[in-house]
Amino acid sequence: MAEQKAEAKLSAGQRSKIRRLAAPQELSADDEAGELNIVPFLDMVVNILMFVLATVAVTFTATIETTPPSSGGGKVRIERADKALNLTVIVTNDGVALKAAGGNISTGCDGVGPGITFPTKNKGPDGEPVLDADAITECVRKLKDSSPDFKEETQIRITASNNISYRKVIECIDAVRKDKNGNDMFPDVLFGVPR
Amino acid sequence: MPPDPKAPHVASIAQFKAALRKAKRKNEHEPEINFLNITAMLDMMTIILVFLLKTMASSSGAIPQSKDLALPASVLQTEPHQEGVAVVITKSQILVGDDPNPVVVLPTRESLAQSGLDAKYKKAGINDLHIVPLANALLSVRELDKQIRMAKGLDPNSSEAIVIVDETTPYRLLMEVLFTLGQSSFGKYHLMVLSSKKPKT
Repeated sequence: MAEQKAEAKLSAGQRSKIRRLAAPQELSADDEAGELNIVPFLDMVVNILMFVLATVAVTFTATIETTPPSSGGGKVRIERADKALNLTVIVTNDGVALKAAGGNISTGCDGVGPGITFPTKNKGPDGEPVLDADAITECVRKLKDSSPDFKEETQIRITASNNISYRKVIECIDAVRKDKNGNDMFPDVLFGVPR
Repeated sequence: MPPDPKAPHVASIAQFKAALRKAKRKNEHEPEINFLNITAMLDMMTIILVFLLKTMASSSGAIPQSKDLALPASVLQTEPHQEGVAVVITKSQILVGDDPNPVVVLPTRESLAQSGLDAKYKKAGINDLHIVPLANALLSVRELDKQIRMAKGLDPNSSEAIVIVDETTPYRLLMEVLFTLGQSSFGKYHLMVLSSKKPKT
């Protein structure tokens, strides 16, 4: 009622002016286009992000810790040398030979005796011997279990012929590192230079 | 004189303003949001992208796999060691640190597999393991690394090296490089391999 009274006091011109001034203002064309269209840029960023994440996922690396190589018949560095297995793996073109403190491991891992422990049966496409990693792992496990004195021994010496590739050496290191149950055998690797 | 009842009503300025404010309030409405504001998300994604690119660039795990350098696969799943001087042996050259210029350009695999590098690179003939150009390159790198180790409070008497070797590298060349590193006061090496569940044969 009071409002009607107040409005009643306004003249027609005043009411018209109020309607004009109170009307909601439309945005100008410039104001509507003020938001930057960043969608293409966003697409590009998302694509690059996906590419980076996908690339990172395929290059997982690890490092094998070792020390300078020693030449000749250097022994495994442990405190009780008299109770050490002193295992050495020799990779040649003819196969893999294992040598312990007690002597050379015979063919087939049947105790001490002459011959190459695991003779090469066939060669790969690169002309290098195909290693029987499972047999090496089994033999090393057997040798380590042969005495409780060897339980704490973790070092092994790896030696190879001049032409044996780094890949074969790593295969050998993998074969002696853990047994098939995942238990540590010889995780510490020392390299030897062949005489 | 009394006001003329037939004369038109004219409101005062105060009344006019009050009526205008009231009309404006009545016509007011919340602004309609007809677009999604993704600026904040874009900021976040750009920061993540820059962070990832910087991390990848500085990580030693970012080894470019190419025809000239392919790392061997290993079952090892440990974290790669990050600190140390990088020594790279590819199929064609030996590189030290961040220097893109090769220290030694390698001959064919066949000649390397027999007796390693040529005698011209050695100190005492072809049977020697000491590679002179590599030792010279390591000398300056070792000095820098010594300063860094001292600043970090680490033992400056011996440096560490991250050895990145192509999988086809002959054992003889690997031993020559490791031996030369040993002679240049590098006492610990980290041989880089690719982590995989089962290595390729």
